[in-house]
Amino acid sequence: MYFLRCLYSSLQIWSLIFRLKKQMPKIILAIESSCDETAAAVIRSGGRQSDILSSVVSSQIDIHKQYGGVVPEVAARHHVINILPVVMEALQAAKAGKKDLDLIAVTAGPGLITSLIIGVEAAKALSLAWGVPLLAVNHMYGHIAGNFLQPLSFPAVCLVVSGGHTEIVVMKDYLNNKKIGQTVDDAAGEAFDKVAKLLDLGYPGGPIVSKLADEFAATEKNAKIKLPRPMLSSNDFNFSFSGLKTAVLYAAQKMTPAERKKRAAEICFEFQNAAIDVLVGKTIKAAQKIKAKTVLLAGGVAANKKLRESLKAAAEGNGFKFSVPEFKLCTDNAAMIGLAAAQIIKKKNVPVDNYKKVRVDCGWELN
Amino acid sequence: MTKKTHSEKETYDFAKNFAAKLKGGEVLCLVGDLGAGKTAFTKGLAAGLGVKGIVTSPTFVLMKIYKANHKIKELAHIDAYRLKDGSELVNIGAEEYFGDKECVTVIEWADRVKDIWPKGCSEIRFEIGKGNERKINIR
Repeated sequence: MYFLRCLYSSLQIWSLIFRLKKQMPKIILAIESSCDETAAAVIRSGGRQSDILSSVVSSQIDIHKQYGGVVPEVAARHHVINILPVVMEALQAAKAGKKDLDLIAVTAGPGLITSLIIGVEAAKALSLAWGVPLLAVNHMYGHIAGNFLQPLSFPAVCLVVSGGHTEIVVMKDYLNNKKIGQTVDDAAGEAFDKVAKLLDLGYPGGPIVSKLADEFAATEKNAKIKLPRPMLSSNDFNFSFSGLKTAVLYAAQKMTPAERKKRAAEICFEFQNAAIDVLVGKTIKAAQKIKAKTVLLAGGVAANKKLRESLKAAAEGNGFKFSVPEFKLCTDNAAMIGLAAAQIIKKKNVPVDNYKKVRVDCGWELN
Repeated sequence: MTKKTHSEKETYDFAKNFAAKLKGGEVLCLVGDLGAGKTAFTKGLAAGLGVKGIVTSPTFVLMKIYKANHKIKELAHIDAYRLKDGSELVNIGAEEYFGDKECVTVIEWADRVKDIWPKGCSEIRFEIGKGNERKINIR
């Protein structure tokens, strides 16, 4: 009897320790290298909320400007040079050492294979050398997780827009998400880049196109050019931006080079409006259909001011809560990968030798 | 052979029929400006090969592989838009698909990676005519 009682109380103590351990803040080192930014961050994940202790991004935009876009081999070379200094800087800024780390999280896809592999291999080496478990994180889920600094109400609909993706994702909770629509050709960010190229405006196209659009908006003139809103009234949640880009080509073809230069801001204004009308229209339609509580915006193109404002106004006007990460959490960064990992490890134990299973998957689809 | 089309749909249908003539192992090098019809052609080709699901631009990831429902089992869709030369494609293993009898390879913006065009590949040029007209030239 005495023995059983001892056993029972020791079990209770252990379960208490286990519960306390689960609630103890976890320190996560996150690494991201899926495209042209080498990034590392340190996250403290508490019971309910997570904080960003540090976030370092080494951008290659100036390097790629001269080529008019990301050159994968050049990107990879710079990732190799930057990865360890960026990781060390993130740890130092967070005043964390390898002994403080509970987890390393790394972007394993989707993205450029030659870029991804450098972050993933560096993370595997650190995991093995430091004896810290390694978790592979989906880059798109990371973008969504940029919204996880505040508690969210579910179900939610998230519009994820970046250089490589345009997707509508339905989220039952933090971890259950399902893609219900996507672009059938070019991603929204890609269309911005290609329009900038068509009009000879430079790289990266997104910020240049939206800056010119804002300049035209400030004149309060109406655009004389009219562009289509592709698939706005189609019966699904898909997008098409290739046709919109071609419509810009036709509009530009009708002009002399001098006129094209003079009216570039007007074209950008109408193009941006057309793209945003479709993005906002489809997202709100999805939110209404699934009776969402919250509309989220995420991804690099979420840094576009006009898109943020338009989706916020449409969401709130239709009775939904709205969330978008602050600017620096929209473009590629590692803090969002850490925030994603913080949610995943609430439901999943990551063994210390998990690095053996982590592989690059450049076509990794959400869910 | 030269074909004139007058809409995106016509380009798509032309490629869909063109797919029926493929035997496997072909490398199709697509050359043409933005908006010239390369994407429409590739989508039609994929449909002709029985690819299920949505064929999206591989500009961002360089290469996407689709399962085909046909005697040809795979479609390798490559986009060289961001590249200076072919070494990049060699690095990611694209050449493994060239000439594979169970695979058809399509390279968009192929003029940027001329250094790795395999022997016997087909060059398909897209020219923008007036309005919606496109000239597709296959060599």
